Amino acid sequence: MGVTRKGVDKFVVLREKEAAIHLLPGLFSAGTQAEWSNQNRTLIFSTHPLNNGCALAVAGKKPREHLSNECRVFEQDEKVYACRMESVPDERLPFIYDSHAVFVSLQKLMRAADVDLQEVGTERMSVGISSLLQMSALYREAMLRQVRVLQDAPKQSEFISSEIDMFQSMHAAWHLLEIIYLTTNMPGLSTSIVPHFMGWLNFNFPAPLAEEGQRILDGSPSADVLAANAALWPYLKKLALRGHVTTMANMLERIAPAKALSTMASRWAREIARIARDMPLGSDEETAGSFNARWRLWNAELQNTATAIRSLLLPDNETTRPADTALESLHSIVDVMRGDDDAISALGETWQDIMGATLLYSEPTAQADRLPTLTTEVTDSFQTSDFSVLDKALVALLNHDLPEFLVYCNQIEPWLAAHVTDIMDHINILGICRKVFAVDPREHYILALGEIYMSHEDLWRVGLEYLGMTNSKAGTLVMGEYAMRIPIESDRKAEQILRICDKYKLGRAKDRIHRQLGRQKWQRGRLGAAIGHFAQVSDHRSVGQVCDQLWNEYLESGNLTYGPIIDGVLATGLKHDRLQFLTRYRDFHVCYNLGDYVEAGRILLSILTNEIAPPYAVPDLLVDTIPLLEGDALVFSSNDTFELIRRAEDLIRSPEEPSLSPAANTTAAIIDKSELSLFNVACARNLARSFVAM
Amino acid sequence: MSLQVQPVARRITAVAWLPPRAGNAYNDADLHFVTGSGGKHRELVLWTTVNPDFDNDTEGAQDSADERPLASLIAKVAHDGDIHGIAALSDIVATVSSFGTISIYQADHGHSDDTSRLALRESITAHRFANSERASGTALAMQPVDSPDAEVASCGEDGCIAYAQVSRLDALQQHEVDSTVITGICWPTPAQTAISTRGGQVKLFDRRTPADVSAVFVSPSTSYAFECIAAHPSQSFRLATGTDSGAVLLWDTRNLKSPAMEVFNVHGSNVWDVQFDPTNSGRIVSCSDDATLAVTQWSTDGADASSSARDVRRVSSFFNVLSVNCLDVCPFTRSSIIVAGSDSGNLLIEKSTNDDDFQLF
Repeated sequence: MGVTRKGVDKFVVLREKEAAIHLLPGLFSAGTQAEWSNQNRTLIFSTHPLNNGCALAVAGKKPREHLSNECRVFEQDEKVYACRMESVPDERLPFIYDSHAVFVSLQKLMRAADVDLQEVGTERMSVGISSLLQMSALYREAMLRQVRVLQDAPKQSEFISSEIDMFQSMHAAWHLLEIIYLTTNMPGLSTSIVPHFMGWLNFNFPAPLAEEGQRILDGSPSADVLAANAALWPYLKKLALRGHVTTMANMLERIAPAKALSTMASRWAREIARIARDMPLGSDEETAGSFNARWRLWNAELQNTATAIRSLLLPDNETTRPADTALESLHSIVDVMRGDDDAISALGETWQDIMGATLLYSEPTAQADRLPTLTTEVTDSFQTSDFSVLDKALVALLNHDLPEFLVYCNQIEPWLAAHVTDIMDHINILGICRKVFAVDPREHYILALGEIYMSHEDLWRVGLEYLGMTNSKAGTLVMGEYAMRIPIESDRKAEQILRICDKYKLGRAKDRIHRQLGRQKWQRGRLGAAIGHFAQVSDHRSVGQVCDQLWNEYLESGNLTYGPIIDGVLATGLKHDRLQFLTRYRDFHVCYNLGDYVEAGRILLSILTNEIAPPYAVPDLLVDTIPLLEGDALVFSSNDTFELIRRAEDLIRSPEEPSLSPAANTTAAIIDKSELSLFNVACARNLARSFVAM
Repeated sequence: MSLQVQPVARRITAVAWLPPRAGNAYNDADLHFVTGSGGKHRELVLWTTVNPDFDNDTEGAQDSADERPLASLIAKVAHDGDIHGIAALSDIVATVSSFGTISIYQADHGHSDDTSRLALRESITAHRFANSERASGTALAMQPVDSPDAEVASCGEDGCIAYAQVSRLDALQQHEVDSTVITGICWPTPAQTAISTRGGQVKLFDRRTPADVSAVFVSPSTSYAFECIAAHPSQSFRLATGTDSGAVLLWDTRNLKSPAMEVFNVHGSNVWDVQFDPTNSGRIVSCSDDATLAVTQWSTDGADASSSARDVRRVSSFFNVLSVNCLDVCPFTRSSIIVAGSDSGNLLIEKSTNDDDFQLF
């Protein structure tokens, strides 16, 4: 996908990945390409229409070295290698099905909201945002469930762990998008992003780990041992940095009685624990002004504490022993909590740590639009070249640089890019990206995802639905092309594909599939089913051809056996001249066999006079009238007989074009001279009888 | 209770309950069923689930029940071809595949789950086209007799019905009876079979003269393509068919010349499977391409079959948006338990103990 934004061409380069894959076992051994091509041999290949597969073959003869010495002729190399790249691992299927369900519901929801919007004129955003938030939570739930399933997998492998990493990355990116664009847009007085950001940070990048705290506590039953634990202070600092102030306060109170601590350190540990517990927390019911007032008081208390501890730590202060690590650590904890940038930067290991602590302690009422400035300040001190794709995606998102975010999302996983663009479209923030990208990003990424799914045997339906949900002309076109190429193994699958064609109005695809199925059934000798398919697309020519085949089979065998076939077809409500002819002709035979000659004659005459019979069948029909003309009972009136004679004369005057006849043996289709004279005699006799009867 | 979903990452195409180990007169605390899948993973899987009749625990225990899976896999075996139909008879499982083969499996669901297994006993190709290509089988039904010599009847896209004794598959009989695709087959009585066709016909056959159609029914007004057929468990003249337009048709074939037919428009798309509820045959259960199950109350016992008694309860799950391909209602329990399988890779189970949650149309 091309990106047209000026000066941003790095994405284009990143996307043009090339990889040489050596097939094993392959056409030639690795490293012998040059030698191989010198033999003037070449490969032919063809790509699979649906998946990332291709068929490879050597165009030419088998090389000398592969043949035995006795062999004097060069054999053609007839081996075909089918290769395929697995783009959707089976382990991902439950997630794909789950997220597809959410995707479908989301589209339905938004369509319903659109209808409401048109009917009632209500504000769509206010209606939709809480539902969108629910859907977003469902997507995240699906990702987390997948992570749990993978973690519980009996066999752990490198692949599984990379999948887990991928899903965790996806969750982190999605969750951040959710809090910036959905959670903080919910109605309520507090629009601060800080509590949500901390929730996001501690959920996706948990630190310090709960197990770490447990280990420290387990190994240290008493306050003294605890205070001596080397891991304690770094752990406490981390707690402060991540805003786990209650846990930190509990721990501080636990170590306060330790003898190893100086009196001052114990006193300040208790004091800091108390202040930490008093940390103001915002709520939806409180206005920013009232919260700020409380926060200022709390912060002033921390400032005082910090000043007091700092004075104790000064080298000229005699009340403290030199190098009181506990007090120093307490000092840095207080510095972090009062929002001192230097202290935070010193303690924070990752940019997320620093970002979180800065937001929490220096800008507790910051809103989402403050994030870009802050992110730039924080990430400036880091080497962005060391950032992972996830880091880059998150930074882009925090910078509100949605186009860049999308590109990185796509690098994490195409699923993410597709669903992110979709939800962005529903929140009405995709407009910025539309100006930047050469094509519509939602359409592009969803199409790409749909095409990936099409390569999996079980996911054709999910893939088609994604293609259809792009709601674009391109999507429908691509969908039509895929629908025509899905292998149809069973009648039910054919029916399902045709349903989808109906749903998305893929007329051309439907037409092609019916014709293809019709041909296939015809080849397999299923004439009734073949007629059914041809009739669906009004392929009268093919229906006629199949009917001709039925007629010929009758002529050859002399047995009228096509009855059940046309009955099966007629039950579907199909109407076609040729079929009508075959039905009427069958009716004629039924009446004739039952001895109802008058009715049989009437049917035969109606076939001839209504001209529903194909021209090549007329001679046989006329011959069929002879026994009725010659029979004991008078079947045809004088008018009827004149009509029969007229038909016979038409036939003689314009003899049937041999090419129009379906039978190869064209003479059979033209009325036999001797039969003609028999017919003439029969007509003459019948006329005489009918005049007498009149 | 709504539809419960268990993701299995397989496209489930056929399902059938196994009779209880203790015999039909008794009941087990655990029920067993088999599912067949198609597409990339073609497998026959044996599952076990808790019998809802024994699951009358308190609220607290209900919470713990939520955590355990709906059904646990106890044995599986790879299958040749997509499984398009399953029928079970005591410990015998018969399948028909997309390759047109009828296969007989031995299901040993022993008293300890470690010993449970499924083993292929025999298989035979039953459906072929005139050009000798293998034709896909579409459905399979077991003769309703409690005997090891019971027959299994399958139908296919070749328009043939194949009859074979489960104990002797090689004595297979094939009869071409339709020119379109036969989509469903059932046994109204042990001596009679009925099929539904894509051409919109229901045909009855006497088992003693299997090549001759004893009666043909078509819908008098609208033309439908039929996708499936089921016979009433006790009234052999009652049949139900599912159509491609989402309707369930109820037939009363006492008058063979002009059978009575009633239409219930319960689904929005093709009805893939239909069954009379064996625990309450006044209900028809159906599943469809529109990802729903529907329970249609077509008559109430004792009461007049007035229009107010005609209720439909539709059951669907948020997490299942693709076609529900197959269903089976457990005939061995007092409370109704339906198991179904879908294209969304889900096993769906619906348990309902009370009849009061019906809503009007």
